[in-house]
Amino acid sequence: MTTEEIRAPASRATVARPSAPLERQATLGERIYRYRFVYMMLVPTFALLLTFNYYPAFMGLYRAFFKWDIGLQPEFLGLGNFEKLFIRDDIFIKSLRHVSLLTSWRVISAVTFPFIVAELIFNLRSNVHKYTYRVLTILPAVVPGIVILLLWQFIYDGTHGLLNAFLEGIGLEDWQQPWLGSPKTALYAVTFMGFPWVGGVTVLIYLAGLQGISDEVIDSSLVDGCSGLRRIFAIDIPLILGQFKLIIVLAVIGGLQGWVAVFVMTAGGPGTASMVPGLWMYNNAFLWNKMGYASAIGMFLFVLIMGLTILNVKFVKTGDY
Amino acid sequence: MTVLEGQPQPVQRMSLGAGWRRAWRTGDWWRHLGLLGFLFFMFLPFIITIIISFKDIPQFDHYPFTVTFPLHPDNYLEAWRIVSRYILNSIITSGTSVAGMVVLAAIAAWAFARYPFPGREFFFFGVLALLMVPGELTLIPAFLLVKDLGLLNTRWVLIAPYIAGGQVFAIFILRQFFEALPGEMFEAARIDGANELQVFRHIGIPLSQSILGVVAIMHVLSTWNDVIWPLVTLRSNELMTLTIGLYAFRTAWYTIWGPLMAGYVIASIPLIILFAFTSRLFVEGLSSGAIKM
Repeated sequence: MTTEEIRAPASRATVARPSAPLERQATLGERIYRYRFVYMMLVPTFALLLTFNYYPAFMGLYRAFFKWDIGLQPEFLGLGNFEKLFIRDDIFIKSLRHVSLLTSWRVISAVTFPFIVAELIFNLRSNVHKYTYRVLTILPAVVPGIVILLLWQFIYDGTHGLLNAFLEGIGLEDWQQPWLGSPKTALYAVTFMGFPWVGGVTVLIYLAGLQGISDEVIDSSLVDGCSGLRRIFAIDIPLILGQFKLIIVLAVIGGLQGWVAVFVMTAGGPGTASMVPGLWMYNNAFLWNKMGYASAIGMFLFVLIMGLTILNVKFVKTGDY
Repeated sequence: MTVLEGQPQPVQRMSLGAGWRRAWRTGDWWRHLGLLGFLFFMFLPFIITIIISFKDIPQFDHYPFTVTFPLHPDNYLEAWRIVSRYILNSIITSGTSVAGMVVLAAIAAWAFARYPFPGREFFFFGVLALLMVPGELTLIPAFLLVKDLGLLNTRWVLIAPYIAGGQVFAIFILRQFFEALPGEMFEAARIDGANELQVFRHIGIPLSQSILGVVAIMHVLSTWNDVIWPLVTLRSNELMTLTIGLYAFRTAWYTIWGPLMAGYVIASIPLIILFAFTSRLFVEGLSSGAIKM
């Protein structure tokens, strides 16, 4: 999108030019002067972005190379923080395994269950029903995230929880556990919460894609005798790869950044049985005041998220842009 | 299916009952079954929350998951006394920041969309690049920044960064929308003597109400649900937003499930009200195809 605009600024200029075209080519200074009110429009936005976004971002990258404890003079370490992170910090390495599991499941569940629901809604014949189901699927998405986390904490509760009550109800008392309190199950409990894993927003994004498929394509596929599951795999999925790509990117980013859920549910525990990198950063910074070391973890997450996003955008090809 | 979609009018006027009968005849019933199955499990935790919110402690101990009588609506009073302050704080924070954010983002996006000023792509990339910066990278320096600015434990410590950060995504979405507006309309207004501000206010903004609404709702959702930033920057109970207030409430009232669940229900109501008034906007906005890669 952006490259195209850089190549063809002239054509756009004729559309949006506020005054009559000048006779000769205006110099850069003249053009800047002519658009001075436009720059004024951008001043408040950039003042805020520079203060609260750019300054902290560059500071975070810079301080990752320092030993920086609150109240003490920062001390330059070079790559010392990273060396410690990857060679001597076993908990960090463990947290990487945990976050891979969390993220993998997020991606897998985001490309399956919401897509099934979207297909079910899309293929309904009645528009009234379609709309009703769309509203009902999105409704849980407006319940505050913290409420959902606290509810799942209750579902997993060892003495009062819904899951244990359910297991007792079907005669599997042996399986009862303090799901979040046991080192064996805590990580899996956090990973698999949210059953049946249907995010309303994700469903709507798939539906938007399905509705964008032109009627001609679907009609001609019907004429050719392609319907049902075959149509889903041969037509629907290839044509909405753009949506799948977006969902996958969002799921990967959400998985890597999803440490708030872990923080609320288990605080990384018991011990470090469900520790994830984001939470490890938080603990280093706000429990132990090791700001430099925590910044190094933040920088690592930044590089990881950006790398994965670029990979995804580059290698999952779609035809629609 | 598409054959029927060619004539949507009679379908929409049809009563729900007739719709269900027709669904049965046309073989849609298994789709309904599947969807209702999913919906049942999606809503189950909320139904059980509402059931428990009317219980006192002995009722919960004996029959935790079924409806028990007498109901105890007083749980809601008790929870309201604690949660109401947090709700008010969240309304003030999200309300102020969404107002500021939408105004600034609309102005900036308009500048990027309609004027070929020198450096446009450079500045736009400067905004866009921030979409790639995760909160993890900025959390610690931003915390130390607001600490140095003396903003810790004030309302501004939330509002100012929310306005700043929320603009990024909003500018990205709004610019696309503004660019797609027909340029002839603005040209005509200029010929009629409208100045740039009037073109923006009286033509651009009215044409963009729905997308502005979508952007605003998404910002309210994200600021309303933020946990970490208020957690590290607010100390006093008077200023706590809903998320961290509920978290503190859970810790203090653990095992007194009735009022706790009542608190969860109350905490969910403001956004549900917002959703009730804007659901069409919300669903249409997300389904419009504006959001994809």
